[in-house]
Amino acid sequence: MSPLELVDDRFDKLAEELRASRPVAPAALRAEVCALEPPGPRWTFRWPSRRLVLALAAVAVLGSLFVAGITGLTRSGNQRSSAGLALRPTLPTRKSPPVQTGAWEAQKAPAPNLGSALRSADLAPATGRLQRYQATLRLRVKDVDAMSSAAKRAMNLAHGLGGYVASVQYATRSKGGGATLVLRVPVGNVQTALTELASLGTILQQHTGILDVTRRVDREALQIAQLERQLAHASPSEAPVIRAKLATLRAKHARLLKSARLARITLALTTPAKQAAAAPSRFDRTVDDAGSVLLRELEILLYALVVAGPLLLLGGAAIVAARGARRRADQRLLERG
Amino acid sequence: MGKRRRIDAVKTEFAEAAERHLDDVHAYLVYLTGDRGTAEELAAETFARACERWHRFDPRRGGARTWLCQLARSTALDHFRAEDRRRRREGRYAVSVPESEEQVFGEGLSPALEAALARLSAAEREVVALRIVLELDGEAAARVLGISATACSTRLSRALQKLEKEVSAGVAA
Repeated sequence: MSPLELVDDRFDKLAEELRASRPVAPAALRAEVCALEPPGPRWTFRWPSRRLVLALAAVAVLGSLFVAGITGLTRSGNQRSSAGLALRPTLPTRKSPPVQTGAWEAQKAPAPNLGSALRSADLAPATGRLQRYQATLRLRVKDVDAMSSAAKRAMNLAHGLGGYVASVQYATRSKGGGATLVLRVPVGNVQTALTELASLGTILQQHTGILDVTRRVDREALQIAQLERQLAHASPSEAPVIRAKLATLRAKHARLLKSARLARITLALTTPAKQAAAAPSRFDRTVDDAGSVLLRELEILLYALVVAGPLLLLGGAAIVAARGARRRADQRLLERG
Repeated sequence: MGKRRRIDAVKTEFAEAAERHLDDVHAYLVYLTGDRGTAEELAAETFARACERWHRFDPRRGGARTWLCQLARSTALDHFRAEDRRRRREGRYAVSVPESEEQVFGEGLSPALEAALARLSAAEREVVALRIVLELDGEAAARVLGISATACSTRLSRALQKLEKEVSAGVAA
């Protein structure tokens, strides 16, 4: 098919004449051109073909899928062990009441080994001495109902043993609950109280502290006696001061005696966290993790596009505009010539 | 040994391409410039450039003739720009048309057609050269011109109509 057939048959004669008399390169030019020798082959950058670009894109997609799959498999394996750990009941950790180190004789028992046995029996208050007795007991009960029942029983126990409930904090949550009771029990009944309280649940933690205050009580009693003697011989101007000191000391002494008479038991009750939903299978975890990795990759790609996109767009537009302007200028130049 | 062979192969390829397409490139440049002397200079320049850049030629992107014509067009445009700047510098804006009795566009052309071709613009003559004289297909010609195939067909149609009109006017005169 002649190129002219695409235009018009009228120009066939014109085309034939033009073709028949086309200019021929002179011999000198031919000799000059034939004498040219290209330099040896060398590496040059060539834009990759469309097929190569498509292949590279496919490799990139497959690579990202592979990475996502491997990451999913690896993570799902790791999470299995952590999921196993998560199934264990999680227990709120609370600080034990402050203990005066040195002066206190303390025993802190690790929780899991205790079972229901109370091991504080060997740290009983000594008879014939004045001692401050503090005990902390953390128990795990079956559920919120059991916790409520245990709290009531603990309060009744404190009253029954001649003591009282100093404070109660009780809270229930969707995943379980917790209660903290501070009981004041006569020191003579503290062992009974602890034994009874230990039976309310599984002991998780136990802490017992004893501070002997006999010498302090004696010292304060001596000071009170001295002040009473001073008051008896004091002048009217000195009497009020001594009286005030005496009142303060007596109140302090009364508090000390009370603390030596009533043991402080902090009882913490907790319920195990609700059992987590059935752990997903390894396949599900792998798919989830792979999906999250793919999403992350897409996020990164999107981020890169958002950041670099406008710049690329501007650069591309500038190149296109420059090329267009140059093409139009060339066209004007050729139309003038 | 292998490298030597490759160098020889490259030389042979270039020599064959130059031999086969020299007339085409020369004819295209004659039509584009409307001047034989300039066309010869530009053809030599084109092949010198082609020789230097032969390693860049990629046969997958088009034939050697198309590539050489693109190179020739680029060389001619550089020349036109330089000439344009020179004219501006010298304050002469009139396009100098060679006024010789020598037939520029080919031996044996009728004077009317020769004159009509001279009256066409370079843009019109180059599309005629590519599509009619060199018989490039629409796609290859469009690639050389840097336009779409449709635009190339339109440009060719207009150029031929104008050429026919100019020939008719010349014959009538």
